[in-house]
Formats: sequence, structure tokens, C-alpha cells
Amino acid sequence: MQQGDGTEAQVTWEDQQNINRFGRLNNRLHELQDEIKLAKEANENLDDAGNELILSDEDVVRFQIGEVFAHMPRDDVETRLEQMKADAAKKLERLEEEKESILAQMAELKKILYGKFKDAINLEED
Amino acid sequence: MAAAAASTPQGVAERRGIPAAAFVEDVEAYLRQAGLDVNSALAFLQERLQQYKIVEMKLLAQQRDLQAKIPDIEKCLDIVAALQAKKALGEALIADFELSEGIYSRAKIEDTDSVCLWLGANVMLEYSCDEANALLKKNLGNAKASLEVLVADLQFLRDQQTITQVTIARVFNWDVHQRRSKQAVKET
Repeated sequence: MQQGDGTEAQVTWEDQQNINRFGRLNNRLHELQDEIKLAKEANENLDDAGNELILSDEDVVRFQIGEVFAHMPRDDVETRLEQMKADAAKKLERLEEEKESILAQMAELKKILYGKFKDAINLEED
Repeated sequence: MAAAAASTPQGVAERRGIPAAAFVEDVEAYLRQAGLDVNSALAFLQERLQQYKIVEMKLLAQQRDLQAKIPDIEKCLDIVAALQAKKALGEALIADFELSEGIYSRAKIEDTDSVCLWLGANVMLEYSCDEANALLKKNLGNAKASLEVLVADLQFLRDQQTITQVTIARVFNWDVHQRRSKQAVKET
């Protein structure tokens, strides 16, 4: 809350809970933004890998499992890569949906809190 | 480990050793009950905030460790699965591994019944593939459960920080309001 002129509305427990909820949502939003960035990179990497695979014409591909590169037949690698791409796309979609939901909830809370406290509270990103 | 916490109408009084911040219904009543003047109250609240920050740093470090551990365990599970798949096909697994920085070597792994798992503290133990799967899955489950509890702890902690910050602002504003009223009375 701002250090204001001392004439603002009283803060009830319900207000405090709304403020806490806003804080939690804001934290989760920042975490999500990082996770989305990583998920997008992973998606791009998988796409690049797929392209490389198409360009190469070797039968045996070195596929990374853990810390080692296992020799796998090309078809197996293609199948695995498709599966990984589908999983990654789904994960990214899930993260984006959660982000939308959080933004909506935060907008709601802003309306409520600004409505009661007006200038005495600042809910913007600094 | 269940958190033995006394509930108040405003939630639990503490969680796993982290004291809850008391919500102040009325600033004046709070200061009177505590027998504190404004500056002492503000000092006390600021100190509480610092203590919360310290615990937050610790929890964040633990969270980072767990978040690094989980993908490691998943990679181990992948390898064991790959070995078992090759064994089912009756083929050997050929893998390139890093011998030293930038230098790789080739290994042929035939007919594996067992794997060795690094348990930490310079100890490595041999397990059958099935046992290894079971142990790794259990460790993964534990790590994920610990992470969940940790995240909940962090949320609780951040809530207490927010409550404390709001209380500090309210006490300060009340003080400003008091001074202004006294000033107004003096001038009439």
C-alpha cells in the first residue's frame, strides 16, 4: 500500500485476503512467463531436430538419452521425435491457458481493489 | 510431517515453523494492546519482514535444488527404459558417451540385467532393471511431493510478508493522520 495522506479506507480481512491473492497470482504469472519461454525454446529445438533428421540420410541416428547418445534406427527416432513434439505443444498450450486465466483473475481483483482504495494502492508492475 | 497449527478465524497461526503475521483489525487498538508507540511498532514489523525474507531465500534455494533433481531422475528412468527395450529386442545398445570434455567414446552394452545407481555420498549400488525402476520412481514421487509442500510453504510465507507490508503502511498512515489531526486542533 502507498504511504498516503492518512485518509484512505480501512483495510478489512477480506481486503487483505484479496491483496494476498493478487500477490500469489502475480508471482505465479512471473513463473509462468519463464516457463513459457523455456517451453517455446524446447518446441523450437524439437522442430529444428525434426528438420535436421529429414535433411540427413543416415540410417542410424545418435539420439540423446540422459547424458549419452544412443544409436537408434532412424524410424524409431522419427516416432519418438513426433511424440516429443506433440507433448511439448500440449504443454505450451496448457501454460498459455493458465496464463490467460491468471491475467483474467488479476484484472478482476484490480477492479475490486482499485474500487475500494483508489490511489492508496498500487497494483502495477514497477 | 503434519503441521501442528492452531487455527484462528484468519487462518493458521503458524506453518512448519513459520509464524503467521497477525492481521490488524484496527491500528489504534493494535498499538494500545501491544503498548507500543508508532516507531517501535514499525521497527518490530520491519524486523519481522527481514526474518521472513531470510526464510524465503532458504526456501527458494531448496526449491531450485528440487527442480534440478527431478529432470535428472527422469533422465535415469529414460535410460533404464531404453536398456530394457533393447534387451527385449535381444539387441545390444550402442551409445556414444563423453569420456572427457569434447572427447567421446563408444560403448556396446549387451544383455543387461542390472544397472548401477549413484546414491550419493560416493556410493553406487547395483540393481536389477526392475528394482532400479521401482527405486527411481519412488525417488521421483518423493521429490515431486516435497516440491509441492515447498511451494505451499512459499505461498504461505509470501502471504505473511504481504500482510506485514500492508500493516506497516497502515500504521505509518495512521500516524500521519494523527499528526495532521493534532496539527489541525492546534491551529484552531
